[in-house]
Amino acid sequence: MERADGNLRSNLAERARGVGSLRDFLELLEEHGQAVRWSDRVMPEPDLRNIAVAASRDVNNAPAIIFDNIAGYPGKRTVVGVHGSWDNIALLLGQPKGTTIREMFFDIAGRWGDASAQISRVSEGQAPVHECRHEENINLYDILPVYRINEYDGGFYLAKASVASRDPLEPDDFGKQNVGIYRLQIQGPDRFSLMTIPAHDMGRQILAAEREGVPLKVAVMLGNHPGVALFAATPIGYDESEYAYASAMMGAPIRLTNSGNGIDILADSEIVIEAELVLGERVFEGPFGEFPGSYSGVRRAPVFKVTAVSHRQNPIFENIYIGRGWTEHDTLIGLHTSAPIYAQLRQTFPEVTAVNALYQHGLTGIIAVKNRMAGFAKSVALRALGTPHGLMYLKNLIMVDADIDPFDLNQVMWALSTRTRADDIIVLPNMAMVPIDPAAVTPGKGHHLIIDATSYLPPDPVGEAHLVSPPTGPEIEELGKRIRQMQRGDVR
Amino acid sequence: MTPAQCPRCGSDGSTADFRGVDDGETVWTIWRCNDCCFSWRDSEPASAIDRKLRAGEFALDISDPGRFPVVLQPSNFQK
Ligand SMILES: Cc1cc2nc3c(=O)[nH]c(=O)nc-3n(C[C@H](O)[C@H](O)[C@H](O)COP(=O)(O)O)c2cc1C
Ligand SMILES: [Zn+2]
Repeated sequence: MERADGNLRSNLAERARGVGSLRDFLELLEEHGQAVRWSDRVMPEPDLRNIAVAASRDVNNAPAIIFDNIAGYPGKRTVVGVHGSWDNIALLLGQPKGTTIREMFFDIAGRWGDASAQISRVSEGQAPVHECRHEENINLYDILPVYRINEYDGGFYLAKASVASRDPLEPDDFGKQNVGIYRLQIQGPDRFSLMTIPAHDMGRQILAAEREGVPLKVAVMLGNHPGVALFAATPIGYDESEYAYASAMMGAPIRLTNSGNGIDILADSEIVIEAELVLGERVFEGPFGEFPGSYSGVRRAPVFKVTAVSHRQNPIFENIYIGRGWTEHDTLIGLHTSAPIYAQLRQTFPEVTAVNALYQHGLTGIIAVKNRMAGFAKSVALRALGTPHGLMYLKNLIMVDADIDPFDLNQVMWALSTRTRADDIIVLPNMAMVPIDPAAVTPGKGHHLIIDATSYLPPDPVGEAHLVSPPTGPEIEELGKRIRQMQRGDVR
Repeated sequence: MTPAQCPRCGSDGSTADFRGVDDGETVWTIWRCNDCCFSWRDSEPASAIDRKLRAGEFALDISDPGRFPVVLQPSNFQK
């Protein structure tokens, strides 16, 4: 852990608040040894994938990697792993390297909301993202140094693109603008397909545009403010703004400008692709190696036609490795999947003390709760399944007491071992389920499992066992330190 | 350039979308299958782009497009 005295802490917080773009963040990461430049010549395949996977093995410390010497892409740069380790997330939050996941969870939860958001506006002429502009003869391959992310992907994907759009039926509503990360497969020089599900905001907008026969324009932002990337992957309410949430979390303004097709975009992104939905058309999409560690199959997906591209001078193309975990996907999305479930649950159940939905985008979640009465945790679990994310992702839910830290799996296993009764689990069959669950018999449907690993309370029969309360506190910590020193030979 | 055969579905109809050039020399070409939408770069490892070496479960038969799920089914969609 970095020395976390008061000075360092306030400097880190100050530096993080000053991050307004991907470039700013890469500089901050480099200062802390958390970004490296890969200047040896690499082949797009398989080198970029191999290096990204090798880095992501180190989930705590992995640096971002900037490639600037890729065969066939002279002068172009790409970066992976920007959110690829807990240390990188800590630095973004203004915390020292080595900050625990639990500390970051409560830090993020404490900043949750949009009340303190500051949005500032920059004219198009002043916005760095519009420094270079292409409106004719667009070839995405000429701009983006893409590569095949997993060996059997169906093509070249933009897997860390934040797609901004307005509600096609209420285009003037700022809150109903959406920003989300959806995988995009390049389908020729100026077309791409987009994969999503009806439960996501983009899915709703595509369905609405096609039903009403109205245009749906999008602005695909690449190489973004790292705080906005986090919120693009966060399930917040349909009429809430990802920009506002990101600004509140960063404690700093977010600079927006207009895209050429009239959408609010980040003024300091590296690249923006403007495009329009081709109404009613579907093209073959996939497979794509996804976060459960399996390929999602070939489907027929909506397709967009590119109308213009803007980018900064010498832009950095940001991408991600995603596949069998842990990967950057998990560190990017984990805490920002957990925190909204926590915030949404606490509106009705303040007894909820922490939520860990880090595993496979929440396919397994652990919720800690102070049991108000016998069976209470089960009602909390059912409420969790009704949150925007719970609806299709919280497949297995483990409910634990508040004396368990859900981020410490040793403690969770203890609760499972000692507090569960096999005749007291709930299986909810044939519910909505994210289609890429590899266990699905019918993709799109599945079972939810609730394991209540909280203690029994009267009127349930509770048996005769009493808890051991081992000694804890500063005295024990001191003793532990002394033992480690003795082991190292510092003290006799 | 002669169109390349699609490593995934075997179709002979493909389009060259882009050539990577270093110091005036083409180092690879990106191809796209006109039938199954597969895209590939001809410099990739053979295990991904050689039809004979690719894992069998990733071959694609598109003779019956109706069997592929449609994402966000449009109301008037013709399969
Ligand atoms: C790297 C990455 C890739 C993602 N790819 C997709 C995708 O292809 N389709 C999708 O629907 N969601 C994808 N997501 C998840 C969504 O971004 C996330 O669920 C977000 O909350 C969706 O926002 P929405 O509910 O406002 O639409 C991805 C997330 C990450 C971090
Ligand atoms: Zn093909």
